[in-house]
Amino acid sequence: MKALEDLVALLSRLPGIGKKSASRIAFHLLKADESFARTLAERISRLRESVRFCSVCGAYTESDPCPVCSSPARDRSILCVVEQPQDVLTIEAGREYLGLYHVLGGLIAPLDGVGPENLHLDALERRVRTGGIREIIIATNPTVEGDTTALYVKKILAGTGAEVTRLATGIPVGGDLEYADRLTLARSFRGRVRL
Amino acid sequence: MIENLRFLSYRNIADGEVALSSRRVFLVGENGQGKSNFLDAIYLLCFGSSFRGTRDSEAVRKGGSIFSLIGNFARDGMKESVCIRFENGKKTIRSGDKPVRDRKDLVARYPTIVFCHSDFEFAHGEPERRRFFFDQTASLAHPGYIDSFRDFRRVLKTRNLALKGKRVNILDVLDEQLVTYGISLSERRQSITTEFSGVFSDNHEKVSRIGSRVSIEYRPSWKFVGDRGKALDELRRRRPDELALGTTLSGPHRDRFSFIEAARDFTTTASTGQLRLLSLLLRTAQADYCTRVTGRAPVLLLDDVLLELDPDKRSRFMETLPDHEQAIFTFLPGEPYETYLTDDALVYWVDHGRFTSKNGC
Repeated sequence: MKALEDLVALLSRLPGIGKKSASRIAFHLLKADESFARTLAERISRLRESVRFCSVCGAYTESDPCPVCSSPARDRSILCVVEQPQDVLTIEAGREYLGLYHVLGGLIAPLDGVGPENLHLDALERRVRTGGIREIIIATNPTVEGDTTALYVKKILAGTGAEVTRLATGIPVGGDLEYADRLTLARSFRGRVRL
Repeated sequence: MIENLRFLSYRNIADGEVALSSRRVFLVGENGQGKSNFLDAIYLLCFGSSFRGTRDSEAVRKGGSIFSLIGNFARDGMKESVCIRFENGKKTIRSGDKPVRDRKDLVARYPTIVFCHSDFEFAHGEPERRRFFFDQTASLAHPGYIDSFRDFRRVLKTRNLALKGKRVNILDVLDEQLVTYGISLSERRQSITTEFSGVFSDNHEKVSRIGSRVSIEYRPSWKFVGDRGKALDELRRRRPDELALGTTLSGPHRDRFSFIEAARDFTTTASTGQLRLLSLLLRTAQADYCTRVTGRAPVLLLDDVLLELDPDKRSRFMETLPDHEQAIFTFLPGEPYETYLTDDALVYWVDHGRFTSKNGC
């Protein structure tokens, strides 16, 4: 059945989906209500047409500028720098942060052929130098490449007068020491705070 | 303790199971019969790689395309198994029914120390070999060391790539990172060397009887361990040379370890026999140090280690063998292995990859 095989092959190219899961999804679609499969196909094809990058911060949006950049309720003096557009959605889901965002579009990783020139760093520098920003929170992942990028951002923003901070790393809230991996524990010890 | 091993298409070892249910196991056989391959199989199950530095594909028996190894371990009254399978050019490791994604998870679980001929390079070889020995010791005793070491290696590789590509704009940032990870590594190396040197010197004094103590000195590339400013200065000072050569010229990857006797480098005056003994005693100290730090005695794999020692030193070495959960020795038929037999020792005669018990079982 070529149609089925083609769909399984396509689905198994999705992240986190192996061949078995792809087959299960394909069979589910065959069994499911016809309108479900049609709506799903329609939404997938509409996704690329309706979702684009915000011309200010680089996050995913259906309207440009994005709701965060155009909201008068947001604190325009704080900028959170993230690696990928989906990181904005993750932070927004927490409803804790009320400032603006800037998406870099990756991390400095010369081993993978990514240098500063491949990231949206010029735009970041422009925004900070012209926008009255007093704090930049770097929210890159706590990896070697995340650290390199954070240090590079700090370097290019030196002299702008804005304070550069980084998200804390360590044991998750409600987590158990017993289940923390060695690297997280080591970082937690290094980043311990005075009570 | 390793209870048994199962082989399928692994090097020249016959397919089947070999029981090891004894604290001391002696493998006796001529050269090329499979003794060292047997030890390498155990090492592979405990470290995820060969101690002889061979590729996984080379472990497939001639004419085959896969190999499989299963080791059944007993630990604190619990049974565990590790399975390594090589198929379609890919190696998979499973512990019980769970895949092992990182080899470092095996290292802490089944501490194993191998004594082999190439250990001589620790006493008389390139500085890289000594760094390997001390990094391995640190990783066995302190599992977190592997993470620090990998982070440093990743930044070093990135920096070398940036130097080769003349990417000057990111070098300042990479210098900061190299110093952060490098200083952390240097500090750990320094404290571990101090502790390890005490253990080693005591062992060496007992066995060598040369009348003076041999200690180990850590000689970091960045002379002032822990001084971030001086390390950064050093990187900046050498940057023009580094850009020209496309490589990082200072840092923990250039650290050295020296053996000092009466304020002199012992390896420049020691005889070949003394250097051989020194390399053996490094392994002994490695086992003692790991037991002391982790509270768990390792499995010892001793591959033809006594061959090059005189009879007195052989006896003293065997008397001072470190505490072990299990020890597996290889001997040539002419060696006086019976001298070292204990009541519970298991002896196998090894011939063309087949293991025949001499204990009658």
